[in-house]
Amino acid sequence: MQVKENVNKAILGLIDHKFRSFLTILGIIFGTASVIAMISIGEGTKKQAIAKYQDLGVSNIIVRDKDMTDPELEEVRMKFSKGLSLEDAKLIGEVVPGVVSVAPQSEIKIEAKYGDRSAKATAIGVTPAIMSVLNYRTEKGEFITSDQYDRQLKVCVLGANVSREMFGYDEALGQSVKLDDQWFEVVGVMQPKALFTETVGELASRDLNNDIYIPLSTFNKRIPKANPLTSEVKQLTVKLENSEQLISSAAVIRSLVSRRHFNNDDFSIIVPYELMKQEEKETRIYNLLLASIAAISLIVGGIGIMNIMLASVLERTREIGIRRAIGGKKRHIMSQFVTEAIVLSITGGIIGVVLGISLSLGIAWATEVQTTVTLYSILLAFGFSVLVGITFGYLPAKQASNLSPIESIRHE
Amino acid sequence: MLIDIKNLTKDYRMDSVEVAALRGIDLQIAHNEFVAIMGPSGSGKSTLMNILGCLDTPTSGIYRFNQIDVTGLNDDDLSDIRNKHIGFIFQSFNLLPRMTALENVELPLMYAGIDKLTRMNLSRQALEKVGLADRMRHRPTELSGGQRQRVAIARALVNSPGIILADEPTGALDTANSIEIMDMFRQLHAEGNTILVITHERDIAACCKRIILIRDGLITSDTPNLN
Repeated sequence: MQVKENVNKAILGLIDHKFRSFLTILGIIFGTASVIAMISIGEGTKKQAIAKYQDLGVSNIIVRDKDMTDPELEEVRMKFSKGLSLEDAKLIGEVVPGVVSVAPQSEIKIEAKYGDRSAKATAIGVTPAIMSVLNYRTEKGEFITSDQYDRQLKVCVLGANVSREMFGYDEALGQSVKLDDQWFEVVGVMQPKALFTETVGELASRDLNNDIYIPLSTFNKRIPKANPLTSEVKQLTVKLENSEQLISSAAVIRSLVSRRHFNNDDFSIIVPYELMKQEEKETRIYNLLLASIAAISLIVGGIGIMNIMLASVLERTREIGIRRAIGGKKRHIMSQFVTEAIVLSITGGIIGVVLGISLSLGIAWATEVQTTVTLYSILLAFGFSVLVGITFGYLPAKQASNLSPIESIRHE
Repeated sequence: MLIDIKNLTKDYRMDSVEVAALRGIDLQIAHNEFVAIMGPSGSGKSTLMNILGCLDTPTSGIYRFNQIDVTGLNDDDLSDIRNKHIGFIFQSFNLLPRMTALENVELPLMYAGIDKLTRMNLSRQALEKVGLADRMRHRPTELSGGQRQRVAIARALVNSPGIILADEPTGALDTANSIEIMDMFRQLHAEGNTILVITHERDIAACCKRIILIRDGLITSDTPNLN
């Protein structure tokens, strides 16, 4: 007997029993759908969680000046450390292998004013290199150019929030804003960035959308330091060719900077990629938990299949007897019922996949939860549901094939 | 000999009580015989028929079908014999209700592993032979009792079996249809088929060429029917 004919017969038989078939696959449909929906929630959460590390750059190493009290600062200066400097940046770029570019930056909290509106913001002095190092993109206008940097112009690029708070829907480009007591011309507005809700190492949690970028040269010239002893720059973002040499490069950078700072522990090194890996590992456990809850529902669905198929075997005892009497072998009966189980679970699986994807999209649309439907979740859910269907279809099929032909043919 | 049985017994165990359904049967049936087995209910004739049809195995004794010792065969081999050498006809027709007449007749050929086209042709011929050429696409529920039994006969014939086993073939039919079915059996016999009918009706047995009486698991008489 050809498989194709078997499958056709099974499909026709199941269509003949629409309601029973529908009841049978209901469990598989919901099981599959819930696996996909649950994994999509897990994946969405994970994506959200790692987005912030991606903003920091997966092939970057961050060297950051430690936050220190005034007496601590005096102490390290006494011990000859000048703190993080442009000279450090230059040296890292020249000495450490695999470095593509180094972006130094300084920071200070300021109040930005436009007309009668104001916003609390962080002014960040940057070099144009930061554009490529951190994948910064502007929504409107241009980022700070080399020319503006070299000429120490008083221009600024606003973070998405700052722009909205001060300008609303008005045009920000070309306007002048006051940062503390200095006037700056707005040349660009940034795209919104992922929220930085957790502290990553030395990087305190803050909203990157509240940043205002100005040329580092202008920053050092125009913005007064909170303490005259404050280091020249607050942070160096080092971009490497690829993420494979992160650990060794980080070690080289540490020993280099440490030597230049006369072994003062006044800086820290953050490797976003490593932190991302760690976070991924944590969310994987969470995902696994969600998937196993869904898997349990699939198994319950499988038991449903078994129940209804057992009932169907009882109902068709006489048919089985007739088939056996005219020469059907045990394996023929077996394959007939297993084929039905396979057709049922594949049908249920397909409907479940469609429902699961719709459910994920629905959840994302109706709630705050971010969902991501992944191919692996579809394959996993579908494969698992078919497996469950076949496993639980096997037992009734086995029972059907073992019925005695004489007794089953007399069965009413 | 087509069927050669020696000292065949069959015991059933019912709630820890042994019941002897057959207590030593000796029977020979040759090719192209037309035999009736008669007996009251509980006499063991159905048990005998199940064993002859390879649906059941005896407790002891020897059963040779076409020189093959059937008692030693496994389930798959017995299925093969039922499929290729035995055509069953039942009192309650036992057609599959969700299939058309043609599909019902095709079923034994399907289990024999014959391709779709040959199956269709053979089944069509068998249905034509029993006079149902115009009812091939009907389901059993759309056919009369006599027509259903003729579909069952076509199904029994389609594999050109060595023997046709009919268990009360007219038990569910009215007189006119019964006569029609028995005429068909007579014709099949004339064409060279071997037929064994189990019945408790004298009129039906009277159509056969040899009548065997069975009582309490033993053959009590075995006589040729001359008229």
